Amino acid sequence: MRIVPQLDTYPRLVRFGQTALGKAVLLVAFAVGLRLNSGFLYPHAWQEFTGAVALMTYFPARRRLLLSLLSVLHMLLFHSMWLNSDFLEALAKAEGQATDWTLPALVAGIIAAIFLGFVRLFEFIRRVRTPSMPFVAKRPVLCLVTGYAAVLAAAALLPLSGMIRLLLWAALAVVGPYLWFFAYALKDATTKTPDGITLQLGALRPFWSSAVDVFTPVPKGAGNLRRIEARNPNDLSIAQLKAIKLLIWTCIVNASLHLLQVFVYGAPSHVLSTLGWGIPTLRVPEISVASQHSVPLYLAWASVIANFASTALYITGTGHVVIACCRMAGFNALRNSYRFLYSRTVAEFWNRFTYYFKELLVEFFFFPAFTRYFKKNIRFRIFAATIAAATIGNMIYHFLKNFAWVAEVGLWRALMGFQEYAFYASVLGLGIGISQLRNADRKRLGDDAPWWRRALATGGVVSFFALLGIFDHERSYHFGEDLRFFLRLFLIPV
Amino acid sequence: MNDSLVIREFLQTLLSRKGDQGAFLDNEQLIAGGRLQSIDTLEVVLFLEEKYGIDFAENGFDQNEVGSIDNILALISRR
Repeated sequence: MRIVPQLDTYPRLVRFGQTALGKAVLLVAFAVGLRLNSGFLYPHAWQEFTGAVALMTYFPARRRLLLSLLSVLHMLLFHSMWLNSDFLEALAKAEGQATDWTLPALVAGIIAAIFLGFVRLFEFIRRVRTPSMPFVAKRPVLCLVTGYAAVLAAAALLPLSGMIRLLLWAALAVVGPYLWFFAYALKDATTKTPDGITLQLGALRPFWSSAVDVFTPVPKGAGNLRRIEARNPNDLSIAQLKAIKLLIWTCIVNASLHLLQVFVYGAPSHVLSTLGWGIPTLRVPEISVASQHSVPLYLAWASVIANFASTALYITGTGHVVIACCRMAGFNALRNSYRFLYSRTVAEFWNRFTYYFKELLVEFFFFPAFTRYFKKNIRFRIFAATIAAATIGNMIYHFLKNFAWVAEVGLWRALMGFQEYAFYASVLGLGIGISQLRNADRKRLGDDAPWWRRALATGGVVSFFALLGIFDHERSYHFGEDLRFFLRLFLIPV
Repeated sequence: MNDSLVIREFLQTLLSRKGDQGAFLDNEQLIAGGRLQSIDTLEVVLFLEEKYGIDFAENGFDQNEVGSIDNILALISRR
């Protein structure tokens, strides 16, 4: 039995979705779906997104161009969605620089310079595909990421002040949110038939990316958009029905998240909060361990499970909204989170939980390592490439994302505060690597296996990720407390 | 057996290990369509390295170059 009907498999509905009236009905359903799930979006996003996808629905031949136009407009008009303006203003004040009209003008100049520089680099890499091409054309993403990391280190370590310091950090603040979008575009430039720069602009933070605060390109770059674009009215109708189906799922996820907040956490702002079980959020029991006023063990375990549930629901909800926008715009993208509770192995869960983040790490860390190193030993080759992606790539992604924090506390203190995430990423990489090796030659535990074996496998996987969630903090100075909290869950005295 | 059949047989085995017994066309994008995952892609890489001597380290690797039978055949003929 299906909770949400497979709308896209009903031939009459698919045909109806191709008529003028059908398109209008789907757009209204989309607007209602976004409005109902507006908790996952910024205010008024549902009107803007509906307007944007309406244009793309009625002018399908110009879909990619419209996407570029709308995404550039969105970037310029709603730059506060992606640019950390508060950070830049505080920095300007600290450096004794004016914060009146001159700061936005300076930032606009930096944005223009960076995009011009990117366009030139993209065109250069696209043109220079010869065996003797320079290193930057052979490994553009490696150059981009190491270049960004080097500028970040220089900005944090060099004794700079005044306008130069402001300029450097402003450049980092502009490139930071675009880093992995640029990476996908440069990767596409190295392929046989890349999109031109006009179409690439539509994949550099497409307007739906601003639905949530993400640095991960969803659904990857222009190369993927090219492959998943609806080719005819039938494809478009199917993609849009899938978008509506996903929004119905999002309503269920949203309701579950609300129920969790009220009845599990007992959210104080809610009228029914007195009915809640009052389970503390994860941070509270961890701190209470440190101050020797521990919460009871059952509450500590409940807190870990509730933290996993709320994180899973939030990630699922936001991912569904973004993919629904993408599908409604005519791109039949895969979901970001897909039936992860059916996972039988750690590697399978990670693949199904945050698909596009995993894809980023696979694309830019796993395959570059896998195709180059340890070719003599297949098992070690797989394991090393997994560590390169899930541990090293994961750490690089998250550390670079926190550039404003590095500016605030300095490089060394930022690295100290990153220890806990480094531990998290190391255990994650080991877990996925071991899981892959264990299951490499086995057939997947299918639905025909006894229920207890499936339950045991899923329970083990969920427990691994729920417990690992204790250490999922990018900017933390409580590693010791979190470790003690973890040990106490297993009655290990500390 | 020609290359097309060898590749089809290999991909069919890969899909059936995941419980996917469905048919697929030569031009069907199995990765973009979600029928093959990254972990499967690395098996395709190993197969192409071993069977056809393709070295992906040289010119970089794009998952979509191995996403369908047609794409794999094009890759083999290019390298």
